[in-house]
Amino acid sequence: MTTLTRSDQERSTAPPPREPNRRKPWWRSSEAIAAYIFIGPMVVLFGLFRVWPAVYGIVLSFGDYTLRRTFSFVGVDHYVRLFQDPIFWDSLRVTFTFAAIQMPLAMIVSLAMAQLCNRVMRGMAVYRSIFFLPTVTSSVLIALVFMWIFSGAGPVNALLDVVGVEPVGWLTERFWVLPTLAILSVWSSFGYNMLILLAGMLAIPQEYYEAAQIDGANSWQRFTQITLPNLKPAIFFVLVIETIKSLQTFDTIFVMTGGGPARGSYTLTFMIFDQGFGYFDFGYASAAGVVLLLITLVLSLIQRKLVGKND
Amino acid sequence: MTETMTSGTPTRSHTSQHRRSRFVRQARTLAPRHVVLIVTALITAFPFYSMVIISLQPGQAIVMPESLFPDAFSLDAFYEALGSRDIPRWAFNSTIYSVVSTVLVLLFASMAGYAFAKKKFAGRELIFWVFIAMLMIPYHLTIIPQYILVGDLGGLDTMWGMLIPTLANAQAMFLMRQFIHGIPDEILDAAKIDGAGEFRIYASIILPQTKPIMATLATFVFLWHWNDFLWPMISQQSSENYVLTVGLNTLQEEQSPLATVMAAAVISFIPTFLVFILLQRYFVRGVMMSGLK
Repeated sequence: MTTLTRSDQERSTAPPPREPNRRKPWWRSSEAIAAYIFIGPMVVLFGLFRVWPAVYGIVLSFGDYTLRRTFSFVGVDHYVRLFQDPIFWDSLRVTFTFAAIQMPLAMIVSLAMAQLCNRVMRGMAVYRSIFFLPTVTSSVLIALVFMWIFSGAGPVNALLDVVGVEPVGWLTERFWVLPTLAILSVWSSFGYNMLILLAGMLAIPQEYYEAAQIDGANSWQRFTQITLPNLKPAIFFVLVIETIKSLQTFDTIFVMTGGGPARGSYTLTFMIFDQGFGYFDFGYASAAGVVLLLITLVLSLIQRKLVGKND
Repeated sequence: MTETMTSGTPTRSHTSQHRRSRFVRQARTLAPRHVVLIVTALITAFPFYSMVIISLQPGQAIVMPESLFPDAFSLDAFYEALGSRDIPRWAFNSTIYSVVSTVLVLLFASMAGYAFAKKKFAGRELIFWVFIAMLMIPYHLTIIPQYILVGDLGGLDTMWGMLIPTLANAQAMFLMRQFIHGIPDEILDAAKIDGAGEFRIYASIILPQTKPIMATLATFVFLWHWNDFLWPMISQQSSENYVLTVGLNTLQEEQSPLATVMAAAVISFIPTFLVFILLQRYFVRGVMMSGLK
């Protein structure tokens, strides 16, 4: 950003085409006025619907908002209550368990599929189209279809029956609900991640592989010694978006399990929604939202540090 | 190769045969990859397939079809869905919500992107920094204040109340700014010398130049709005104001016949599918742009 300004200033010190405008203070120049008109709508929208809600969200966490539209300050009461609330600790546990199942699964599948597609082959365009389709499909639609696929009499249990395994309550047993949601999440996003990793792979110079082949490296060694290190920026990018996505998973949980069974899929985002729009306890829900904000900030700081070190 | 030489076939068939043998060799080494890819593709496509199959079930069965390769199909569920009071109405709302938002997001994002890329004004750095900082704030924290604000403005349960807050799309603005930054200043200077005003430059130089990024963004913003769920659900109370995603969930909650739910799902999927198939390259470009920083 700083380099950008510098180059702009350099440009403005270059032979000025319109001498008279130079004398006027910049803010009265027609250029600045036009600039304000151009950013105007975006700044108003952004200030009203992004900045203000972000600030007010944090303010709300220190107070109570009544349905009579009044705000009263309560200090850190909500946070004290939050840290004593077993539901909150449970939701944190569920959130991190889900991320711990979903993230490695998503990374392995996306990497494997990218490696598999990293080859000029007939029919590749068709495969890729099929793999991307879930990423553009609405999460509600995905949730509805997967509810049937993982239902008691659904195809997954029918398949298990063929192998002679007892049917599993994928969405009704506390043990299975998070792995099931993780599988769904990987199904719906691996095409997107695969494409980003594939773009990274295509940018690696072919000479590296040729040299390694001459040195007698097998394909696994080539993958771990050349592909993975050179793919680091793309891998970190996928990691960042997957982290945010797994922390903020909501739609599928809302449609499929409603946080259940027995709060088995009651994540932090679900808690914010439930406290906010289920009990209309806006202040308490906002306190949970601030915790989500802090977790997001800490995780992205860690990730930034890791990227910075390795890059 | 020696075989073709001795049999004395003309050169054309010789090369085609040669090509075929090379293809066979290539197919043999690539076969394992193809097997894995086909299996993955089948798994990926299976939910879509089952959605269509269930929607084509005859009768109003709530249970799953007897077989995944049924021999009887019927469009009953589609007649039911399209003849209902709600589903066409929801499809209409989804269309308005997606199309109007897409047009307005592109307009405001390109205007702001132009100013950030090519104009010098006080506070540019600060405003830009605030925009970036806001990307870190989780949506779930801001949705409650947004609900309160839209309520205070009298926008709850109205189309504009649902639509306007989604127009503050910072990502679209960043991509626009990035792209417009690459347009050479000489073109703009030349237009200025020719006496074109600021708005003339924006409308007849900047906008036509941004066509590629516009197409990419339009695909993204349309799909994002078409699939949006949480905000439309929170901000709309009466069922005639629902969009398709919210309506679909309601159908499921009301335990409507599975075939009807799936028929509605297919109806909601058709625009997504068409946009994706027709504009796939723009979608792919968008993903690549977000990945290659």
